[in-house]
Amino acid sequence: MSTPVAVTPVAEPATAKSGPRRAQRITGFMPLIALVALVAALTIADPDFLTQRSLTAVARTAAPLIVLAAGATLIVLCGGIDLSIAALASLSTVLLALWLPDLGGLATPVVIAVAAAIGAVQGVAHVLLRIPSFIVTLGGMSILSAVALVVSGAGTVRVVDDTPVAWLELYLAGYVPMSAATALLVVALIAAVVKATPLHSWISATGYSESAARLAGTPVDLVKIGAFCVSGACAGLAAVMLVSRQFSGGPTMADNLLLPAVAAIVVGGTAITGGHGSLWRSLAGALVVTLLRVGLPIVGVPSAYEQILYGAIIIVAVALTLDWSKVSIIK
Amino acid sequence: MTVTTGAAVPRRIIRRGTAFRDAGPPVALVVIFAVFAALSPQFRSIANVQNIVDAAAVLAVVTCGITFVLMMGSIDLSSAGVMGASALTVSLLVANNRNDNDLGLLGIAVAVAMGCAFGFLSGLALVTLKVPSFMATLGVSAIGLGVATLMFAGVQPNISDVMLKSWAIERFLGLSYLTWIAAACILAGWLIQRYTRLGRYAYAIGGAEEVLTLSGVRVKPYKVAVFTLAGAFYGLAGVMVTSQLGAGLVQAGNGYDFSAITAAVVGGTLLTGGRGGILHSAVGVLLVMVLTNGLVQVGVSPYWQGGVEGLIVVAAVAAAVIPQRRRNQVVK
Repeated sequence: MSTPVAVTPVAEPATAKSGPRRAQRITGFMPLIALVALVAALTIADPDFLTQRSLTAVARTAAPLIVLAAGATLIVLCGGIDLSIAALASLSTVLLALWLPDLGGLATPVVIAVAAAIGAVQGVAHVLLRIPSFIVTLGGMSILSAVALVVSGAGTVRVVDDTPVAWLELYLAGYVPMSAATALLVVALIAAVVKATPLHSWISATGYSESAARLAGTPVDLVKIGAFCVSGACAGLAAVMLVSRQFSGGPTMADNLLLPAVAAIVVGGTAITGGHGSLWRSLAGALVVTLLRVGLPIVGVPSAYEQILYGAIIIVAVALTLDWSKVSIIK
Repeated sequence: MTVTTGAAVPRRIIRRGTAFRDAGPPVALVVIFAVFAALSPQFRSIANVQNIVDAAAVLAVVTCGITFVLMMGSIDLSSAGVMGASALTVSLLVANNRNDNDLGLLGIAVAVAMGCAFGFLSGLALVTLKVPSFMATLGVSAIGLGVATLMFAGVQPNISDVMLKSWAIERFLGLSYLTWIAAACILAGWLIQRYTRLGRYAYAIGGAEEVLTLSGVRVKPYKVAVFTLAGAFYGLAGVMVTSQLGAGLVQAGNGYDFSAITAAVVGGTLLTGGRGGILHSAVGVLLVMVLTNGLVQVGVSPYWQGGVEGLIVVAAVAAAVIPQRRRNQVVK
């Protein structure tokens, strides 16, 4: 230890950041630009796109994705990642479908609470056992999928009486789908709570520099566990939305939402290195992803390209939003 | 790292710790095998042992690939997508019911090359775009699945190539050809790991990348090469699955990505890199297969397989981190 190896300090003396860099400023508007460009392109490709009916359809499709992405954004802001959200949402659809007959209206809050608890357990495992978050949630994904398969008997669980969740299928003021309104409300609520409390600085501090945050007295562990807990609750809510739309729960129902959700977060411009980003960005990102999804068939592109697109988007968007100054070694 | 002259005591402790870590998985394998053999008469039959070894073939090849990536301290989630793409490629290039191709071995080579290309893509995204490997490979996996879906085009290609089909059926010394191919892969992987610069640098990158960079080694090409090598293994694994199924499926690699990580980790390869190796992983593969087979024989629902693997990974990683708990404060 005492051997004074002549290591020239590679670290550039922490340049006091005077405002955001140009790249950051551009990526800041990226989701909005992409959103506007997509809407314009789709309107040109199909003039019927900007009608109330198809926009409502887009909003309804986007709702579960928005909620999922919003929850996971908090974890990404802390510098971690949650790969289990989709599996957790799938499990929650099964639980909700199974519990609806017995619990009725109570089933929704109970499922969300259970999902939040599962999220919190993953957070505790991440913090206490000091396992990287993507390993914990990758393992969690596998475990939750297995539980969902066993609980549901590997089949779809039909919901006979869906009145307790039917409110999500209503329309606010005749036009706005209730599910989309709920999603917006959730994003606004979380964003407001984060903004109004010290949470905002705690989360950013954890994301930007965890060791500094710890030294400064930030309850880093609690912040992280809280983020996982909220992410779990959001997955539960997304499951409620899915069940209300499909009248059933399935052990793999939400599994294909993982990539879109991750894509939504990074397209929004939240850096996966942590700290930089916001919930509103993920909202914009989720809309972009949904528009791409809805738009590809309109333009006449086979839906197989959807997957390729997600893959490319994730890689490119992560590369653009990454805080290069912070990571010298990328594993 | 902390070894200085006169520090004989810590060195001995370190060595004993390493020996324990190396001996742990094989001992666990024997113990688990003995437990299941005692519990279930079907489990201890010769046929079932053959069954386990044959079933391990594909996973062993995938794990060979992923081990090199893990040794560097990176991670690879792309195997499912790469295997799907290579399965479709090979099934459309050998004799099949969709077109008139009959390339035989050449078709298999093309599929493996396809795997290489995807691995190259992951590596490139990692070193040039600086996208962390788990994100880059997640993206590449999606791209692979998309390419596979495009090639699938709604009609399942059934293969009629005699040679490829025989791989899964014909037996040599009681084990299927696929198992021997897997054994050859393990041997090749071990030789690469042991005797080539690529293998040694993969270790070194995982152990101390900064030191390696400061010593003037250009790390980036080796990182790309390791991902390309891993891609080749996934490509071959996709071909093997196609041989087993007799058809090219997009979902050919479903679940293999996580099972391979489980096998490597449980075999003693650390996710932080620099430890473990192909032989460790081979033991890990057998461990995972014995466990899943044994649980089914004892009467546990096969749906639990993923759950068991998830628990194993979390437990194994947690156990590996415990010695450095106090030291490494920042875990993302």
